[in-house]
Amino acid sequence: MNECVLPDPTGLFEVRFESIGGLGANSAGKILATAAVLDMNLNGSHFSSYGSEKKGSVVRSYVRLGAVDKPIRTSAPIDSPDVIVIFHDALAKQDITIAGMKEKGVVIYNGAPGDVPANLKKLPAGTKVVRIDATNIALEEFSRANAVLLGTLCAVVPFLDGDKVLDKLTAKFREHNPRAAEANDRAFMRGATEFEVIEGLAEGKGELPVIRPTPVLGYETAPMGGVIPNAGNTISNDLSASRTGYMPRFAGAKCIHCGLCATVCPDFCLAWTHEYDEEGVKKIRLKGIDYQYCKGCMRCVETCPTEAMVRVTETPGLADSLRVPLYAEKAPAA
Amino acid sequence: MATEAKLVIQQTKPGKPGAGPVAQKTDFLSGNEAAAKAASDIEFHVMGYFPITPSTEVAETLSRMQADGEHEIMMVPADGEHGAAGICYGASLGGGRVLNATSSQGLLYALEQLPVQSGTRAPMVLNVATRAVSGPLDIRCDHSDIYFALNTGWIILMARGPQEVYDMNIAAIRIGEHADVRLPVIVAYDGFFTSHQKRRVETITDKEALKAFLGENKPPYTALDPRKPVTFGPYMNDPDLINNKKQHSMAMEAARKVIPEVFAELEQLTGRSYSVVDRYRMDDAEAAVVLLNSAAETAKAVADTLRDQGQKVGVLSLNVLRPFPAELIRDALRGVKAIVIGDRADSYGADGGNLSLEVRAAIQLDPENSTRVATRIYGLGGKDFDDDDAEAFFDLALEGAEKGAFEETFGYHGAFAGSPELDFAEGLPPIETAEVTRGMAKVTPDEETGLLNVELQPLWAMAEVPGRIAPGHGACPGCGAFPVLHQVFSVLEGDVVVLFQTGCAMVVTTGYPKTAHRVTYIHNLFQNGAATLSGLVEMYHELIRRGELAGVSIDEEITFVMVSGDGGMDIGMGPALGAAHRNHHMMILEYDNQGYMNTGAQLSYSTPLGHRTSTSQVGKARRGKLTHHKDTPQIFSAAHVPYVFTASEGYPEDLMRKAAKAQWYAKHEGLSYGKILSFCPLNWTTTDDAAESVLQVAIDSLFFPIYEVERGHTTITYDPEALGRKRKLTDWLGQMGKTKHLMAEGNEERLAAIEEEVMRRWRRIKAMHEHPEL
Repeated sequence: MNECVLPDPTGLFEVRFESIGGLGANSAGKILATAAVLDMNLNGSHFSSYGSEKKGSVVRSYVRLGAVDKPIRTSAPIDSPDVIVIFHDALAKQDITIAGMKEKGVVIYNGAPGDVPANLKKLPAGTKVVRIDATNIALEEFSRANAVLLGTLCAVVPFLDGDKVLDKLTAKFREHNPRAAEANDRAFMRGATEFEVIEGLAEGKGELPVIRPTPVLGYETAPMGGVIPNAGNTISNDLSASRTGYMPRFAGAKCIHCGLCATVCPDFCLAWTHEYDEEGVKKIRLKGIDYQYCKGCMRCVETCPTEAMVRVTETPGLADSLRVPLYAEKAPAA
Repeated sequence: MATEAKLVIQQTKPGKPGAGPVAQKTDFLSGNEAAAKAASDIEFHVMGYFPITPSTEVAETLSRMQADGEHEIMMVPADGEHGAAGICYGASLGGGRVLNATSSQGLLYALEQLPVQSGTRAPMVLNVATRAVSGPLDIRCDHSDIYFALNTGWIILMARGPQEVYDMNIAAIRIGEHADVRLPVIVAYDGFFTSHQKRRVETITDKEALKAFLGENKPPYTALDPRKPVTFGPYMNDPDLINNKKQHSMAMEAARKVIPEVFAELEQLTGRSYSVVDRYRMDDAEAAVVLLNSAAETAKAVADTLRDQGQKVGVLSLNVLRPFPAELIRDALRGVKAIVIGDRADSYGADGGNLSLEVRAAIQLDPENSTRVATRIYGLGGKDFDDDDAEAFFDLALEGAEKGAFEETFGYHGAFAGSPELDFAEGLPPIETAEVTRGMAKVTPDEETGLLNVELQPLWAMAEVPGRIAPGHGACPGCGAFPVLHQVFSVLEGDVVVLFQTGCAMVVTTGYPKTAHRVTYIHNLFQNGAATLSGLVEMYHELIRRGELAGVSIDEEITFVMVSGDGGMDIGMGPALGAAHRNHHMMILEYDNQGYMNTGAQLSYSTPLGHRTSTSQVGKARRGKLTHHKDTPQIFSAAHVPYVFTASEGYPEDLMRKAAKAQWYAKHEGLSYGKILSFCPLNWTTTDDAAESVLQVAIDSLFFPIYEVERGHTTITYDPEALGRKRKLTDWLGQMGKTKHLMAEGNEERLAAIEEEVMRRWRRIKAMHEHPEL
């Protein structure tokens, strides 16, 4: 067994994966930590922050590594990581994604060439910022973004043994599905070679502050018993990040306003209005989609009898430009 | 003072690979996985279980291993934790080894069975992944559940990490089965922090050595020896019961002696040493913190740092909570000037949680002790306990040691008072009755037949009916529960009050401090929603009767709607049938997605034969669920309620007509029940947009007959056979990842069994449809 030497042999090396449920961040953390503990002779722990078993919500996956005889005492989430891996570019816009970033750390984000999230400027100067087009590489190779991102991670963090991690990634496929194993091999290798280091982007001073979720209500302000008196206040939620690369687009000219899409939309994100024709008959009309709530399931596309709903690739800004707000006066939550 | 064996007190040492004489291997396991691995290694005979986060993974892991042929534990999926406890109790009386895992409300739902089992001296092992108890519902860790178990008469071992979970499960067998003890044992570890965190774990590979260590279970009496008939559980009043309890107390006293003996033997086996009380840097400590489980480990790291700075601090933790090691605690704390006890649950009104109360009581009996004590309630509902928190506890303890007193002996650590700038996000205005009284489904009784006719408006006309659930909820993409609710709410007239049983639709709509519900909404746990709503219904009518609520005509009355998943119709079946037999004026709607999807797709009784779930796995040794799906509508039909229906979100008009009828019957005659097949792309393993095709074939293959039972008359409302649309079952099963394995060669018998059962049930429904009396 090779001896893996951590950058600080007496300390812990901490990696935080920032993702959306369903993208494979939990698996990525598990694979990395399992390879480190079982094949690199390190001590390690791995866990993810998620509540009930839902797809599409924010997931953080944590990996702590230390020398084999170094006890890992804490069970708490990683506040100040050495490396942050961002699975979805929508997350790169949020301060909490990069919160607590250490100086001289590494941030790897999934983004198309030219995609440089302005928010990453806040990272401490000296942070190695790395972009990799994991989504597209994964699509091209019939693999998953987590395979690509693990490849990049192992290439950028030299003490991690890429062969061992790749082996753990593909081990379960080798026997039953060699094609999937090969696809993962290629995705991993492309992740390890096709990344771009974004020079000069990070310009913040010192370690970023830790952000801990603060309750909105406290024991002096919350109504007793946990009651929520503000009915329907989930309208301030923004579910855009649940979409994974595609969105339905409304082609109004083809719409016959039959209402079928309304019966299947789980997210209640269709905006309707009414008008009166010359004879004063009320006509109920579909105006479009409020993408703040649309999770991109495409059930409206599947059910539409006239192809007035079309599945399109979501490019930056597209949803914002096409959005028909259901509640015009309500700004989306920060 | 109780007489306790004087013990050699040693600090728990982390295991070194291969330190013990027995062959072991390094693994990387979560606490739940470690419990499952231990169970598999122990080769328990029977497991009775019911899914509840965060302990479910124990059963899931065992199901996976079972499918792969790694063990042969008989895993019995119970109807609820109360049922699971009964299964375990019965199995234990048979003399074999028995296992269960639960958390939170699951432990509490089983609670009344626990003293029954300990009082009649039937050993088993119950893993508890600790979690906050409701309400409001919180799925994360604290110790409010395990504190409820303190008076059950069970031995309680604590496990601070996955390695400890593995080891304590093995120790539990020897302790509980010891001839002087014969008591059931709980192994408690922190939910999520330990249950879901993977760590380095050494597991025993030498099965023979483990077998020899465990020995044989030698119950003095079993229920399975007809040549030695015995009576378990007699009717025992005074003057006898106190003697039975004295015996129970003596067994606990015996356990004080047995536990360290077993720990010592376990150390010889594995090289890992456990003490009853875990003393970390306590020898010359002047200030200390007392904590249970994972938080104690966090505090140890901080204690190291403080020691490096010259502070004399230590950490005291317990590996055994019952029997409570009072003497060892007295011994450990005798020289300590001040301690802070962290309680991860409050005993409201007692100025401390149970750990505080018991530690204080223990040292109070020591005339030589003058330790000052402060209690802090911390980490409730999964709130992290990190280095800063541990530091705050040490600072407080050091201050207490220095001043010889605490200013505040009891308090909450980490609670937030609130802020004038912060408030709930703005919601939506209440829905006016007129806005939802639009005649979208006009119901008129047919004078000739006595049955109801429904005139439905076109779908587009419904598009403007304000939704009773707002957007912004957190369901998975493509979730079928919300189209179901939307379709139903599009036609329900007037004001409604809803009760959601625990399940996906509840969790994703009410994440505090937000709610998607625009109407009054109540949650109760899914074992008791129907009873709860029936109570509210009766209060409503009683207030009206007494004139305390303004008199309303029947058209203006509130409609009461209970929404449940199919899982809630397992654990909540009793109260739901109770409500049905009492015929309250309410609707029960079940969205059936064929499993416990909220907790990660475990099998429910509505999961069909052969389907893969996380507790009916597919592998070389097992091929999905072993039994057929539950026929809940027929059960309600047998309760002779006025209206029962089945429907699918794939047929909106049919569902809407039935929902309108269900409302009419709920208002005019009594209880109505509907089972609605509801799409779950995540756990049926399909694409998010496959609902239409999958649901269509589920119905056209006759798997899910679409019918209603109105005043006892069965009517098939969509007959694929008559319409020439019947499809093969494989056309349906082939579309879902959870059933793809049934398409492979070697499943012909299983497929034939499904086909036979589906057709048998269909023929019965058809016969009822055709018969005037059925």
